[in-house]
Order: sequence, then C-alpha cells, then structure tokens
Amino acid sequence: MLETQGLSSGYKELHILFDVNFKAEKRKITAVVGPNGSGKSTLLKSIFGFTTIYDGKVILEGEEITHLPPHEKTKLGIAYLPQTDNIFTELTVRENLIIAGYILDEQEYNDRLELALNVFPELRDKMDRKAGMLSGGERQFLGIASALIRRARVLMLDEPTAMLSPKFASQVFERILSLRDELGLTIVLVEQNVIKALEVSDNALMLIGGKVAFSGTARELLEHEKFERFVVGYTL
Amino acid sequence: MGVLEGAVTYANLLTLLAIGLTLTYITTSVPNFAQGSFAIFSSYIAYIVYKLFNFSPYFAAPFAILFGGFIGVVTYLVVLKPLIKREASILILMIATLAWDLILLGMIGIFSESLSKYFGAYISRFIFPYYLDFKIAGIQGIFFSSTLAIALSLGFLMFLLYKTKFGIAMRASMENPSLAEIMGINVETTRLFSWFLSGAFAGLAGALLPFKQEIVQATGQIIIVSIFAASIVGGLSSIYGAILGGYLVGLSESLITFWLSKIFGTSVLVYSKAVSLAILVVTLLIIPGGLVTIKWRRYLWRSRR
Ligand SMILES: Nc1ncnc2c1ncn2[C@@H]1O[C@H](COP(=O)(O)OP(=O)(O)OP(=O)(O)O)[C@@H](O)[C@H]1O
Ligand SMILES: [Mg+2]
Repeated sequence: MLETQGLSSGYKELHILFDVNFKAEKRKITAVVGPNGSGKSTLLKSIFGFTTIYDGKVILEGEEITHLPPHEKTKLGIAYLPQTDNIFTELTVRENLIIAGYILDEQEYNDRLELALNVFPELRDKMDRKAGMLSGGERQFLGIASALIRRARVLMLDEPTAMLSPKFASQVFERILSLRDELGLTIVLVEQNVIKALEVSDNALMLIGGKVAFSGTARELLEHEKFERFVVGYTL
Repeated sequence: MGVLEGAVTYANLLTLLAIGLTLTYITTSVPNFAQGSFAIFSSYIAYIVYKLFNFSPYFAAPFAILFGGFIGVVTYLVVLKPLIKREASILILMIATLAWDLILLGMIGIFSESLSKYFGAYISRFIFPYYLDFKIAGIQGIFFSSTLAIALSLGFLMFLLYKTKFGIAMRASMENPSLAEIMGINVETTRLFSWFLSGAFAGLAGALLPFKQEIVQATGQIIIVSIFAASIVGGLSSIYGAILGGYLVGLSESLITFWLSKIFGTSVLVYSKAVSLAILVVTLLIIPGGLVTIKWRRYLWRSRR
C-alpha cells in the first residue's frame, strides 16, 4: 500500500534516517516504535514531503510519489496527523474541521463530518470555540477528527494519544481499531507506549538511531526473546 | 476641500494601502517597499483610461484595480518566488522589493513619458481636477467615494476571510503553512492570491488618489513612508492593526501638519512625512508591539464599571 525503499532523509545537512525500508500493508495497522529522537516523526514527515530526501523512494500503491508537493499527497488519500502543531489555534473548531475537509465536496464533507463527530462527540458543543482555547486532550481529539475527515486510504498518526489520560488513550485506541475495520483503513501508528501499540497493531517497525532495528509482525516483536531489552534499553 | 474631509480621505486611502502591505507581510513575510509604486503605476493607468475614454475618472477605477492586482502577481511570481525557493532571508527579500520599486519607478517614467509623446501633452504629472468629481452638500465626492472604497474593501476582505472556504484556507495558511498543506491546501495559491488582493487594493487607492493630490512619477516613494508607518504602528501582522494604524497615521499626518502650518507657515507642509515617522517612533516607544497588542476589551470593560 504505502512503502519507502532505501529512504535516507533529514533536515538540510543533518542526516537523520539511513536506508529505511518501511511497508504499511493494506487494511492493517503498522506500529512505528523506537526511543525518543530515533527518527519516527522524521519518517512520517519524509513520507509526506517535509524533509530533505537524499536518496530512496516513497511509493503509494505502486506509484512513486517521493517528490510530490504535500497537498497533492493529501489528494491521493494520505491523511497525516503531526505530533505537534496539528490544529490551527487561531481558527474555531468548526473552521478547523472545514479546512480538514478542504478537498471534499459539500455532500461528502457533511458525511465525513458526521462520522468524525460520532467518534469524538466531545467536540459537538465546542464548534464555535477558538481551537487555541481547547484543553490538550480536546486539541488531540480535534487533530484526530481532522485526520479522519479527509477521505483517506492511509492514516498516519504521530502519537495520537500523547496528551490523553490512560482511560481516554485506550478509548482512542479502540476507536482507531474500529475505524480500520469499518472503513478498511490502512494505518501507520507512531506510539510512545510500545506495548499498547504493539497489542493493537498487525505489523511493526522499530527504528534506532535512524536505522531499522526490527521489521516484521507486531506479535514477533512482542515475543522476541530480546524484546524486553529492546523496550528498556532499545538495543538489539 | 475642508481640512477634515481631506484628512479622512487621505486616511481612507492610506488604510487601503496599509491593509495590502500587511496582508502580504502575513502571508509571505515580505515587507513590500514597492506597495506605493503599485498604487502610483495604477494612478497612471487610471489617468490613461480616463484620457482615452474621456469619461469620469471613476470609470477607470476597475482598470486600475485589475492592473494593481496584476503587478502584485508579477511581483510575487517574478521577483519573490524564485528568491523564496532559494531560501532567501527576509532582509534579502526586502532589498529585492526595494530594487523592484526602482524598476517600477523606471517603468512608470518610460510609460508616462512615451504616452506624453503619444497624446502630445505632458502627462507625467497630473491631478483629477475638482470639476471631474461629483459633489454632495458642498463636499467633494472623493470624501464619499474613498470612504465607500474602504468600506467595500474591508467588507469584501472580511467576508472572504471568515465566510468562504478559500478565505478560511488563507487564514489557515497564514497561521501554519505546512499544516495547511497537510489539509490539502495549495499554500502557494493562497500566497499568490494575497499578492493579487494587495495589488488590487493598491490599484483602487491609486485610482482615487489623484482626486486628492497631484501625482508625479515618484509619489510612490514618498507615500511608502506613511504606508509603512501605518502598518508598523498597527503591529505589522494584523489586518485590524493596519486599520487602526492607517487612521492614526493618516489623520494625524494631515491634521498635525495643518496645525503646524498655521503656526509656522506653509513651508512646513513639505515635512508632513516627518509627522508620520514621529508618530511611528512615539507609538513604538509606548507600545512596542503596535496598536494591535493593546487589550482594548479590557479597557472598555474597565471604563464601563
Ligand atoms: N525540524 C528539525 N530540524 C532539525 N532537526 C530535527 C528537526 N526535527 C527533528 N530533528 C532531529 O531529528 C532527530 C529525530 O527526531 P524525530 O522527531 O524524528 O524523533 P522521534 O523518534 O519522533 O522522537 P520522539 O519520540 O521524541 O517524538 C532528532 O535528533 C531531532 O533533534
Ligand atoms: Mg516524534
């Protein structure tokens, strides 16, 4: 579905990722895990086109999309929730959602809006509030809702539960799972909570120092004899 | 024209120009030194259209607006975009607009001189004489038309930015361009459109300015001082600030210069730009962030109690 081949990228002269082969299979959840600063967010940014790409390719369903401008990638059906700054604080919640559905026609937008608001009913009575006035968790709801509104085939979520209490975090996980099943979504999930992420995921990629340290099924990684060491010490 | 009507007329037009300057500053972070010349080039276009059709100069305004928008677009595409692509700093971009301003001055010169030959009359320096304007209750029409112009422009801008999907996308792109791209917005298009709008506002101001004062080729270089003073006094990054700044600088420039001329004689009229710069300095000394950073609501609330 979505893959990178030999991807090396970074920020101008600062090399971060080295020869990363990543694959998100259709209708599956792929977890990207690794310690802080290992390049998880950079991988998603590179797929979307916000970094300097030195080498390698980004491929969506057989088509190379490495150097397409980001807004074109959105139109091809990749929805991306960045880790930080993922809502427009100066716009109202309603305006944020309108912009989230920018590429949709009116009919489709209304359908998708209804779907997103069913997943996050908490947003319904805050529609005319400035998004900058929302709480951290509510912002994250809005961010995920925005990603859901886009008619996406691939959903890339960078730490969607980071700002949420454990109870809400599990709820969000459940909602994400049901989305995959209902809408047949392909999901790429970056998570700090490795065990939680691997439990809901089908496949997993582990990055350490910008290189792939493990690639396979989530179960394999969970059951890997050295898994404890990965998670605690992040070495292989 | 009465002093007060003159001052309001000038402030209306200055605000129109300051809004344009602020708009492109917000969208592309370029302080555009050519904004004055956008207006003055359009003044010449309006004058030529008037000469050709021999109709009311007001009839020429739509042409000036389109022409202003056209220069705005050309400025962004030809001068700025290639530099932005090469990651030029704001300083470089600013100097580029200064250079472009000089090029525009040269083009205005060539344009007006060669048309002088064509018409067999000297048109490098002109004014729309008062008898071309209408009059209501003894007041020159430009007072009303410039007020209408700013009201319509602001109404249009607010409608666009707050009520249309494209306008909301423009505001989204201003706040966070990469997130806007993630949402599927072509941020380049919103930037280009902001240059069109800014140029069109300048074109409208340029079409009306000759009713108020004589236009010479370098009028743009003189007026840019006040435009910048107005935008910076307002805070440079807010449309509301530009409106506040435009009226503060526009009104005081005219009125203070007028009062000074009563005391010291008409020779001080030449120094009217010093007044706008003095206001700029004083405002920034008292309110470093510009007028827009004052918490007006808090003061209103306090005074009501
Ligand atoms: N915009 C940037 N410019 C320069 N360097 C950056 C930028 N963003 C990230 N980096 C650097 O790239 C490296 C990888 O960062 P990245 O954000 O991809 O890590 P991560 O795995 O997502 O970490 P975390 O779990 O903390 O979110 C870090 O060393 C970071 O300092
Ligand atoms: Mg990260």
